[in-house]
Amino acid sequence: MKRSLLLVATATIAAATLPFLSLFAAGTPGPFETRLPPDRRVIQVLNRLTFGPRPGDVEEVRRIGLEKWIDLQLHPERIPESPVLETRLEPYETLRMDFVTVLKDYMQPQPAMAMLQAPNLNTLMSQEERRKVMNGTAEERRAALVAMDPEKRKQVLLTMPPTNLESLPEFKQEADDARKAQQQQMQAEVRKRNPPLEDLLAPEQIAIARNGSPEQVKALFDELDPEKRVQVAFRLPPQVGAEFPGLRREGMRAQQPQQLVSSDLRAGKLLRAVYSNQQLEEVLVDFWFNHFNVYEGKSVQNAALSYRALLTSYERDAIRPHVLGHFKDLLLAVAQHPAMLYYLDNWQSMAPDADDRLQVGPFARPFVSYAVQQPPNRQPHGLNENYGRELMELHTMGVNGGYTQQDVIEVARCFTGWTVRKPNDPGFIFLDFMHDEGEKTVLGHKIAANGGEKDGLQVFDILAHHPATAHFISKQLAQRFVADEPPPALVDRMAQTFLKTDGDLRAVLQTMFASQEFLSEGAWQAKIKSPFEMVVSALRATGADTLDIGALNQKISDLGEPLYGKVEPNGYPLTGDAWLGTADLLGRLSFATALVTGKVAGVKVDATRWDGKDAAAISRDLLGRQAAPETLEAISPGPAPASLAALIIGSPEFNRR
Amino acid sequence: MLTRRVMLRGSAVVIAGAGAMPGWLARAAESADSPGARKKILIAIFQRGAADGLNIVVPFADKRYYEMRPTIAVPAPESGHSQNNGLIGQPAIDLDGHFGLNPALEPLKPLWDRRQLAIVEATGSPDPSRSHFDAQDYMESGTPGKSTSDGWLNRALPAATPETSPLRAISMGSQVARTLRGDRAAIAVNNAQTFQLGNQDTASILESMYSATHDARLSQPGKDAFAAMKMIRTVNQQQYTPAQGAQYQQGGELGRSLQQVARLIKANVGVEAAFAEVDGWDHHGNEANQLSNMLRQFGTALAAFSTDMGDRMQDIVLVTMSEFGRTAEENGNGGTDHGHGNVMMVLGGNVAGGKVYGQWPGLEREQLNEERDLAVTTDFRAVLSELVGGQLGQTDLPRVFPGYQAGTPLGLLRT
Repeated sequence: MKRSLLLVATATIAAATLPFLSLFAAGTPGPFETRLPPDRRVIQVLNRLTFGPRPGDVEEVRRIGLEKWIDLQLHPERIPESPVLETRLEPYETLRMDFVTVLKDYMQPQPAMAMLQAPNLNTLMSQEERRKVMNGTAEERRAALVAMDPEKRKQVLLTMPPTNLESLPEFKQEADDARKAQQQQMQAEVRKRNPPLEDLLAPEQIAIARNGSPEQVKALFDELDPEKRVQVAFRLPPQVGAEFPGLRREGMRAQQPQQLVSSDLRAGKLLRAVYSNQQLEEVLVDFWFNHFNVYEGKSVQNAALSYRALLTSYERDAIRPHVLGHFKDLLLAVAQHPAMLYYLDNWQSMAPDADDRLQVGPFARPFVSYAVQQPPNRQPHGLNENYGRELMELHTMGVNGGYTQQDVIEVARCFTGWTVRKPNDPGFIFLDFMHDEGEKTVLGHKIAANGGEKDGLQVFDILAHHPATAHFISKQLAQRFVADEPPPALVDRMAQTFLKTDGDLRAVLQTMFASQEFLSEGAWQAKIKSPFEMVVSALRATGADTLDIGALNQKISDLGEPLYGKVEPNGYPLTGDAWLGTADLLGRLSFATALVTGKVAGVKVDATRWDGKDAAAISRDLLGRQAAPETLEAISPGPAPASLAALIIGSPEFNRR
Repeated sequence: MLTRRVMLRGSAVVIAGAGAMPGWLARAAESADSPGARKKILIAIFQRGAADGLNIVVPFADKRYYEMRPTIAVPAPESGHSQNNGLIGQPAIDLDGHFGLNPALEPLKPLWDRRQLAIVEATGSPDPSRSHFDAQDYMESGTPGKSTSDGWLNRALPAATPETSPLRAISMGSQVARTLRGDRAAIAVNNAQTFQLGNQDTASILESMYSATHDARLSQPGKDAFAAMKMIRTVNQQQYTPAQGAQYQQGGELGRSLQQVARLIKANVGVEAAFAEVDGWDHHGNEANQLSNMLRQFGTALAAFSTDMGDRMQDIVLVTMSEFGRTAEENGNGGTDHGHGNVMMVLGGNVAGGKVYGQWPGLEREQLNEERDLAVTTDFRAVLSELVGGQLGQTDLPRVFPGYQAGTPLGLLRT
């Protein structure tokens, strides 16, 4: 006890003066220089390279050997994927589709209800009739209305401004009736398209649908015809609905296909995080998506409903293929994806004089990109600095990277013309006439005039090779994988690797994983799990069977990290303080108990695995090692094994990695 | 385990737990006994979906209102105005000869008469967005046109000290609303049981665990979390009879939320800011009936809270808001579409009520925003700035509403 206190005290002092002391003498090693004992190294690696150990993972890593296992994870193509994962992902077809198809098949707005369109007076009446009804004297109006056939008159009365009816009280009742009838028709239409349970089932059936057990509901379904089954499934309360994910999905496809796309996206992320054997790749996809964050709910004119459909492709096609590749390739893929082009508004960024050139030659309408078709008073015309700024501030050099406001403008100028084709096919296109062709200077580099699309590529070249970028990216990776405040020496070495290898991200990770800091006391349990990490690690540790992710998704959102829901481009924080609010901590604890006692819809945990085990044993099972003595002391005398598991999942230890 | 019975004003609260009564609770209890030291409370209520301000506070003296809403306008009060055009329904409740309350808000009339209800007309955001999502975002974050991840009410709270109650900021709902998200700790309180920590044993063990842990970063939030949770539970376990016959039942979800807030305030646990919301104001069709039903609950809830809190209302201000208003003209389906300017209500004992504030822009075509909506003549931040300054004592307004330049105060609070 005393010895470790002394060590901690010394370590604290040493850590503060480390950079200087280490130059002069081999003083007491700081925590980042103190190697972890062997049994902890395995857990450290599992905690950092995966979303948390599953039962049996510790043994597997020991069997393969630590270095070899890390190397495997760095080459995911060598790891056979889990068949369970592939089965679980099978139903989510939109995960495999390109965005043009998704936009076409899933994101069309509901057909406008014909009734909503007020009948057009111009088509209803002849010009003479119209004149009489709208502008004639009361006598003329009366005569015209009386002469009409009742059906037509009803339509006219519906659309006439009330002032025209003022002196015709005899038609007032008819007008009121017509309006009421129209409202009722509309309500009926809405009801038909979206029937409540009352329209689908008999009262006793409704009771079962709302409050019955899954077995009772299944029996009810067997009685219904397939179409009704689907409609009812879609309207079940969440707890029960999670038992029938296939049916509910059918219902969603029929009623709200847009929702299906969002739902699939989350299912993909959660199921992969839980089940994939290629764990490091999943961790990296999560990291890089967050680094190049886009917000699902981004509002884009003419693409309001459709923007969210782009995220599946963004994650799958722009991010995932490059997480172990070269940074510049990742940068380019992200920049050219419509998700990013829209999100940071670059799609509508153009040279100030772009409009004038629209009239000339091959760029005259109708060859104009829809980016410039909007009425001028609704669409900003000219340079949009958003992407230029965030590219340097958030994606590459970091806010202290040394760029100036002028650089921001120059970079933005370079990317003018990088836009999307059209709303239902927003693939990348470079449009010359939007491009600012002048000469530019970016971070001291001259970019010659008339470079066209190459301007942007040159910017990426400059940024991808800039020392500030190497440093910023290395620091972020070290924050994710080592500690909130990673040792500067480690970050420097990673940055060196970055520069030497032309931004080879795999090489940078190798430098980091092979470092003494990565497997040091300083890094041990140094990170607080984010809500997503906490939930997924709990599912993995308990060996849970995840069948439906609706409730999990809601929980992660409640804990403060709505998936794909970070509004600002800087993404969710890499450090732990953000996750420690009062409500958040209680939320985690209530999740822990709910999970183990089978109260999380769509997730099944076999609590019998812990039968006969005491708190210490269960903690070894769930944490890979024994919990701290204080934690175990608080638990004894022990409650039932299931409760023990809940307590461990809720413990301070489990909230760290 | 040590059990202490602590007599807090009005209710006996039993605290079971190891160790002494938390400092913040003692402080809160002390200040409850000396009204001068008592903290003031600001409660924000969000009407989600763009509530139709023009039918909530009715500009019956403006003839254009009736011209533009031939079927859904609220009839003028029966005092000689002959603009009803045979509209069906109860007439508006006359407030000042120009504006009237939707009759469903009848429970609020006594508050108006007692000068505890102020109305601010034609308020809203400088941002033109008519997207529910964006506009709610902008209003809750207090940064129109720009998405910020924390909320104005959170930023309005002074920095926490070790004495700060973990229940200082409560958000009614399953998670902390954007308005209250941010650096300052806030807690979500659900009407149903949020904190299902299994049985009591599990909860106690977890509490001991977080008390005893050597994990410095987790132990403080842990302790706060359990203190807050226990407090809420304990308060809710007491029998509760609203004071002066206040009736929350017909107040719907808001009624339940405000009753919970009332209980926590009365238990003197240190509540300073609260947030509640009501969904469902997006009336594109069949507005008249739906709006009436919602307003009935809305008004009942607010009035019940006010009655229940009694004298304590001197320290409390409630403010209502909605992300934008609705089109001045009705659409073809007995409803309205997304608009711009809206009405805000401010209630409290210290409110300079009985008055309609703000500058009425008029409803002539050229006076409307984009020729379709009520224009905005008072930025919503003007209203909130005054309340934040007066109730929470927050003087650093640029921190609460960055980029906003306050103008002449409206004078919504008496002192």
